[in-house]
Amino acid sequence: MSMVALTVNQRAVRTPAEPRTSLADFVRDKLDLTGTHLGCEHGVCGACTVLVDGVPARSCITYAVACEGADITTIEGLDKDAVTSELRAAFTREHALQCGYCTPGMLVSARDLVLRLPQADERAIRIGLSGNLCRCTGYVGIVRAVQSVIEARRARGVAAEPDGGRKILGPAGSGRSEHDGPGRAERVRPAEPAPPATPVASIPDFTPTAVFTQQFSVAHPPAQVFAMFDDIAAVAACLPGASLTAPPDPARVEGAIRVKLGPIAATFSGFARVERNPADMCGRIVGIGNDRRSRSTTQGEIQYRLVPTGEGAATRVELSIGYTLTGMLAQVGRPGLVRDLAERLIAEFAGNLDRRLSGAAPAGADPVELDGVSLASGLLRARVARWLGRFFSNKDGAA
Amino acid sequence: MKPAPFGYVRPRDLPAALAALGEPEVSARIIAGGQSLGPMLNLRLVEPQLIVDITGLAELKQAERCGDELVLGACVTHADIEDGRVPDVTGGAMQRVAGSIAYRAVRNRGTVGGSLSHADPAADWVSALAAFGAKLTLRSLAGSRTLAMEAFVVGALESALRAGEIVETIHIPVMPASAHWGYFKACRKPGEFAHAIGAVMIDPSAGTARVVIGAIDSAPILIANPAELFGGRIGGDYKERFDARVADAILAKAGVASPAHRHIHVGVLQRAVREAAA
Amino acid sequence: MRNERDFSSADGAGAGQGVGARLPRKEDDRLMRGRGQFVADIRLAGLQDVAFVRSPLAHARIRAIDVPERYRANVFTAADLTGVNPIRAVSGLPGFKISEQPVLAVGKVRQVGELVAMCVAPTRAEAEDIAAAVTLDLEELPAVHDMRKAREAGSALVHEEWVDNVFLETNFEVDISSALDAPIKVTREISTARQCMSPLEGRGVVATFDQRLDQLTLYSAAQMPHITRSGLAECLGMEQGRIRVVSPDVGGGFGHKGILLPEEVCLSWLTMHRGHPVRWTEDRREHLTASSNCREHHYRITVYADRDGRLRGIDCEATVDSGAYSSYPFSACLEAAQVASILPGPYLMPAYRCRTFSVATNKCPILPYRGVARSGVCFALELMLDLVAVEAGLEPGEVRLRNLVRPEQMPFDNITKKHFDSGDYPEAMRRALASIDVEGVRARQRNGEMDGRRIGVGVSIYCEQAAHGTSVYSGWGIPMVPGHEQASARLTPDGGLELRVGVHSHGQSMETTLAQVAHEMLGVDTAKVRLILGDTAMTPYSTGTWGSRSMVMAGGAVAAACRELGERARRIGAKLLQHDPDAVVLQNGEVRGVNGSVTLREIAHTWYRRPQDLPVDVDPGGLEVTSGYKPQRDSGTFSYAAHAALVAVDCQLGEIEILDYVIVEDGGTLVNPMVVDGQIYGGLAQGIGTALYEEMPFDAAGQPLATTLADYLLPGPTEVPAPRLDHMETPSPYTQFGMKGIGEGGAIAPPAAIANAVNDALRPLGVELMQSPITPYRVVEAILARRDAERPAA
Repeated sequence: MSMVALTVNQRAVRTPAEPRTSLADFVRDKLDLTGTHLGCEHGVCGACTVLVDGVPARSCITYAVACEGADITTIEGLDKDAVTSELRAAFTREHALQCGYCTPGMLVSARDLVLRLPQADERAIRIGLSGNLCRCTGYVGIVRAVQSVIEARRARGVAAEPDGGRKILGPAGSGRSEHDGPGRAERVRPAEPAPPATPVASIPDFTPTAVFTQQFSVAHPPAQVFAMFDDIAAVAACLPGASLTAPPDPARVEGAIRVKLGPIAATFSGFARVERNPADMCGRIVGIGNDRRSRSTTQGEIQYRLVPTGEGAATRVELSIGYTLTGMLAQVGRPGLVRDLAERLIAEFAGNLDRRLSGAAPAGADPVELDGVSLASGLLRARVARWLGRFFSNKDGAA
Repeated sequence: MKPAPFGYVRPRDLPAALAALGEPEVSARIIAGGQSLGPMLNLRLVEPQLIVDITGLAELKQAERCGDELVLGACVTHADIEDGRVPDVTGGAMQRVAGSIAYRAVRNRGTVGGSLSHADPAADWVSALAAFGAKLTLRSLAGSRTLAMEAFVVGALESALRAGEIVETIHIPVMPASAHWGYFKACRKPGEFAHAIGAVMIDPSAGTARVVIGAIDSAPILIANPAELFGGRIGGDYKERFDARVADAILAKAGVASPAHRHIHVGVLQRAVREAAA
Repeated sequence: MRNERDFSSADGAGAGQGVGARLPRKEDDRLMRGRGQFVADIRLAGLQDVAFVRSPLAHARIRAIDVPERYRANVFTAADLTGVNPIRAVSGLPGFKISEQPVLAVGKVRQVGELVAMCVAPTRAEAEDIAAAVTLDLEELPAVHDMRKAREAGSALVHEEWVDNVFLETNFEVDISSALDAPIKVTREISTARQCMSPLEGRGVVATFDQRLDQLTLYSAAQMPHITRSGLAECLGMEQGRIRVVSPDVGGGFGHKGILLPEEVCLSWLTMHRGHPVRWTEDRREHLTASSNCREHHYRITVYADRDGRLRGIDCEATVDSGAYSSYPFSACLEAAQVASILPGPYLMPAYRCRTFSVATNKCPILPYRGVARSGVCFALELMLDLVAVEAGLEPGEVRLRNLVRPEQMPFDNITKKHFDSGDYPEAMRRALASIDVEGVRARQRNGEMDGRRIGVGVSIYCEQAAHGTSVYSGWGIPMVPGHEQASARLTPDGGLELRVGVHSHGQSMETTLAQVAHEMLGVDTAKVRLILGDTAMTPYSTGTWGSRSMVMAGGAVAAACRELGERARRIGAKLLQHDPDAVVLQNGEVRGVNGSVTLREIAHTWYRRPQDLPVDVDPGGLEVTSGYKPQRDSGTFSYAAHAALVAVDCQLGEIEILDYVIVEDGGTLVNPMVVDGQIYGGLAQGIGTALYEEMPFDAAGQPLATTLADYLLPGPTEVPAPRLDHMETPSPYTQFGMKGIGEGGAIAPPAAIANAVNDALRPLGVELMQSPITPYRVVEAILARRDAERPAA
C-alpha cells in the first residue's frame, strides 16, 4: 500500500491504496462514495464515469495512483452543480431512468455533452452518449432529457465550452503529482516462481478447432528430411518459443511452449507423443499443454507428409497444423487475433524447418520467442507468405 | 475482475523511464492513459511486475509544428487532437479520426502513443497514420531510431518495439493543400472495434496516393502500388476509376479468406475513396 | 380508442396522482444523486469478499483441486460444504429428467464457469489472488456444445446417469393431418442465438448472520426474494424462519435475477461457517461466461395455408438449448414447453402440431429472459407468415388480418386452450400498417433509394399471457406456483401510508405505480405513501417479480388492502362525524358526510392516540390490513402489440439502419402511461439487441467466446431509434382496473419485425435471413451465397 493523495469532490484525500486499485474502487471502498457504479470494469459500459480534472473518464480502468494530485468529481460531488441539477429535473420529467444503475455515469457524460456541444442535435447527442449503456430505458427519455437541457441553455444564450475546459495536453488527471510514485520497496512486485503445470496424464486425440495447411520444398531427399523429423530436439528448436524440459522419448516428449500475444504471455507446459510411418513418409506429433496462470489448455498436432520431387532429389513437405485452445485465453474475444498469432507462429515454424533442412540454423539459436523482432525480417515474412496455403477455420462464422 | 498486484513508478524524465523499463529480470509494462492496458490488467490477461507510468513526462505531452511536420509527444490524447489543442497539419483529418475513437471518456485519457504501442489491428491510428505517411521515433537507452508507421505494426498486437524501447514522438507530415483524404470504418456501433478500415490520402495533382486497408486481424495493408487500384494512374477522376476487383485481389493475397469479409473491406475502402473525392 | 374505465375512482379527479396519471417517479431522486443502495454498496463491519475458482472447461472430470498451504483457511470446496444440498428444480411434467446442480462442483464440471472453489479475503482483489493460486487438475471430456447434435445417438452425455441429453420432450397435436393437403406449404429452419441478459448491475450477494435473531440475512440482487428463501432453506436444510432475504436497489433484472444461485447458497454457508459477513458481486466476465443465458432456440417449422392466405395449420419441431442444469425455480423445460403452448400466437388455425425438446448441453443453464419463449416463437411464426404472404401473393399485413382472432370472438380460447381475455388484434395491425405507411414504402421501393441502399418494411404481432397464476403453473409442476398475491397497508399515526408487498422493483417503478393505486383507492398523497418491497421479513409472501405480473398482481393486492383499510377508516370517520356509517364516503383522503369531513390523518390519530374516541364496535384490526388478490380468472391477461419496422440495408457493408419503428400496443388500463412507455422503449431496445447485435458464441469445445462488452454487443443510444407509440386501452375483464401485464412485451416482437423488414428489402435479390442476430457479416454472406448460386458453374 502506498499513500494516494488527491482531491475528491473538493475534499483533499490522503489514503493508502495498492497501485492496482482502480479509481472506482478507491472512491467506493476507501471513501464510501458508492454512487460510482461498476458495470463492466473494462471501459465499455460507462457506469463508472467520473470527472477527472473536470472531464469525464472511466474510473474502472484508471488507477487511483495514476491520479495523484488530480481533481476528481463523482456523482455525489455534483449534488449542487447547476447543470447536473437541470439534468436531473429533465431526467425525471422524461423518465430517463428505470433501475438507475447507469444513471450516475450517464449524468456525468450528459453534463459534459451539454457543456461542450450546445448545437448538438438528436443524432449528435446519441453519438455523444454512445459510451454509456443503459439496459432499461431504450435511451428515449435520456436523449429527450439531454436535448431539452441543451435547448434550454441555448435559448438562454449560455456559452459553450468546446474543450470541456481543458487547456493542457496529456491524459486527464496526469501530471499533477508532486512525486514519482510509491517508495522503492513497493515498486516492483516480487516475481513469483513459475507455477507448476498441471500434470497431464494422457494425450487424448482431439478434433482441432483451427487447422492450417502449408507446404514447401527443400533440396534434400525425403529420407533425409524424414530423419530430421525424428530428431525431436531439432523439430522443437524450429517451433518458436518451444523448449524441451526432459530428454525426449518418442512416446513422451516433455516440453513447454511460450507464446506471446502482445502483452499477453502464456507458457503451455505439457507432453507430446510422436507417431511415424516410414512406409508412407508421414508422421504426426500430437501434444497437450496448459498454462496454469490463465487456466488455459491447448492441444495441438503437427502432421507432415513428405513427397519426393525432382526425381527423388528434393522433397515437398506438406504440413498440417491444428490446435484447440480452451480456458481464459480462448474466451478472449476477437479470436481473429489469436488466429493471426497462430498463423505467424506456424509460418515461422515452417521457415525454421526449411532453414534447418537447408543447413542453416533457425532464426535465433535458442527456442525463439515469437515476437515482432523475429518477424520484422521482411525476407522471412515474404517467404513465409508464399508458403501459406489454405487456412480454414470458421472465421467469423458466428460474427 | 481486479488486476494481479503490480508495482508502480511514475518517472519524472525519459531517462528514468527507460531505466525503469530496462530493469533486469523485471517484467515491466508502460502505461500512459491505460485505456487499452487497463482492461487487460483487470481481466488478468497481463500480469506485469512493474507498471511504468509515463504520463508524468512533460516532454511526451507536447505538440509542435517543426518545419514540414507535426511532432506529437506519445502522451498526447485523442481528445487533445479532437479538440484542436494541437496544430492541424492534415486539413482536419487527424481531428476527424480522433473524434471517432471509442468514447469521449476514453479519449480524455487514451493516448496516441499508447494506442500505437498496443498495435491493435482494429485501432484507428495504426491505419490512419500509415495513410498520412507518419513516422515514429522510438527511444531506448541505446538511442533512438525512426520507423515508418507502416513498418511499426507487424501483426495482431505485435509492434516493432524492442524490449526497453518506447514510442517517443509521432511525426505527421504536413498534408499538401492539393491532397485529399478519406477515412471510413465499419463498426456495428460507435466506439466498437472496427471490422474494416479504409484510410486514404490521395494527391491527384501529384499523381500519388497512400491507401491503407486496416482491421484485417493482422497488420494493416499499405497498398504498395496504389495506382493499380485506379486503373494504373491517379488523376482527378480517381473516384470513378476505383477498381474493386483489384482491392479484392489484394485482400485475398493478404490472406483474408472469407469473401464476405473482403466484400465489406472493399466497400469500406471505396467509401474512404469517395469521401476523399467529395 | 380510450375505453370507458370499469372502475370508480375514489377521488374522481385523481388529482393527477391516481390510475392513469403520468406521475414522475418517487424513486428517481436518490438514484440520480448516487444515493441508491445496490448490493455492492452495502457496508457491514467485518465484511470480506469472495471470489470463485471456476471451471475453465465445459466438461471435465475433476481429478484434484490443489490449494496452496498458505491459503488453506481461505479456500472452500465441495468437501467442506457438509450438509449442503444441490439445487434441484424438478418439473412435474411427465418424463422430465432431474439434474442436480451442486453449489460447488462435485466430481465433474458441466459448464465453463461452474463453481469449483470459494475463496475469501478482505478484498475482492485479494480473493482473486487466492483463486488464481488454486490449481485445478481436470480431465477434459467431450463437450456437448450443439443442442441438435446432442440429441443424436452416441453423443457424449452431460449427465452420465441419463440415457440421452434430453431434459424433456413434449408433444402436442390437434388434427394436423387435416392440414397436409393445403395448397400452400412452406418449410424452413429458423434459429435464434444464445444471449446474456446483461442488466447493467450483475448479480450480487451479501450474507450475514444475526446471532440475536438466530437468522441468516441474505442481501441479494434478486427479483424473487421469497422464492430465494425457499430455495436456500432447501439447500441449507434450514427452517425458512431462520432465513431473511432482502433485495436492495436492483440494477435491472429481466429474468437474470430470477433464479436461486449456487453463489447465494455458498455465501450463506460461508457466513455461518466464518462468523462474519461476506460479499460476492458478479463481474461482467462472470456474467457473460459463467452465469445464466437465454433464448437459444431452433425451429424446423412448416406452415400450411390456403391460396387466400388463411392458415390451415402449423407443424413444428422446436429445440431449446437448456444448458447443463435445471434452474430453480423455473426448471430447464419452461422455455421449450412454453414454445408448444404459445407458438400459434394471436392467430386462428384449425390444426397444429408441435414437438419440443429441452436439451442439456455443456453450457450455462438458461433462464426465462424478458418475453421468455415468446421472442423466439414470434420470430419463427412471423417470418413464416411473410413467406406465406409471398406464396399467396398478398401483402404480409393482409395475411395477418385474415388470420388474427377477431374482436367479436373475444374472450377466445385458442387451439392450445389459451384464453385470450380481450382486445382488437386486427385493429392494432391496421393501425401499425397505416402508421408505417406500407403503400408509401412500396412506392419508394419501386423508385429505389438515392443512396443505393435497399429499404424494406416488416410487421409482427403477438399476444402475451401475463400475470398467469395457479391454474397455469400448477400444470408445469415446478417449485413455484403463484396463488393469491398479498399486500399489507398501514396508516401511520400521522396519516401516512405504508405498503408492503413481496414483489420487487428493479426499474419497474413500483414505488410510484403502487402508490398511485393506493392514491386511487384512498386519496392519500403519493408523497406520503412509502413502499416496502422485496424483503421476506417485512412483506407478505410472494413469488416475486416475473412474467409481467407485478402491476396486475401486486397492484390488485394493494387495491384490495387499501379498499379494506378505507372501509375501516370510513367507519371510524363516521363515528367522529357523528354519522351513520352508511351516510359517509371516503373521498380525496377524507371521510365526508353532511356534517363535514374528517381526514385520514385525524382518523389515524384517533386510532393510535385517542382510542377513547373510537366506536365501540370498531374493527380490532385497526388501520393495518393484509389482504390478498387474484384476478377473476387466473389464466392470465393478454396484452398485445403490433410492431412495424422500416429498415434500410446497405448491401455492400451489410449494415442495417432502422429508419422508422411503430408500436401499437394494448396493455389494458395503464396505471402510469409514462412508465408503460418506458417499459416498451426498454423492451424494444432489448428486442433490437436480439435482432441485430447480441450473441454469445461457443466453439466446439464449449468455450464461450465473448468475455467482454466489446465482444457481446449491447445496443447503445445510436442503435435504438425512438419509436412511435400508439396505445389502445382495452381493459381486461378479469383484473383490478382492467390492468394487463406489459413488462416484457416490448422485447418480443422487434426481432420478427426487423427480420421481416430486412427480408422484404432483400427479397428482390432472392436473399432471406432466418437466423438472429442479423449481423452485417451474415447479410453479406447471404447476398454473396445467392450471387454464387446464380452464377453459372465455371
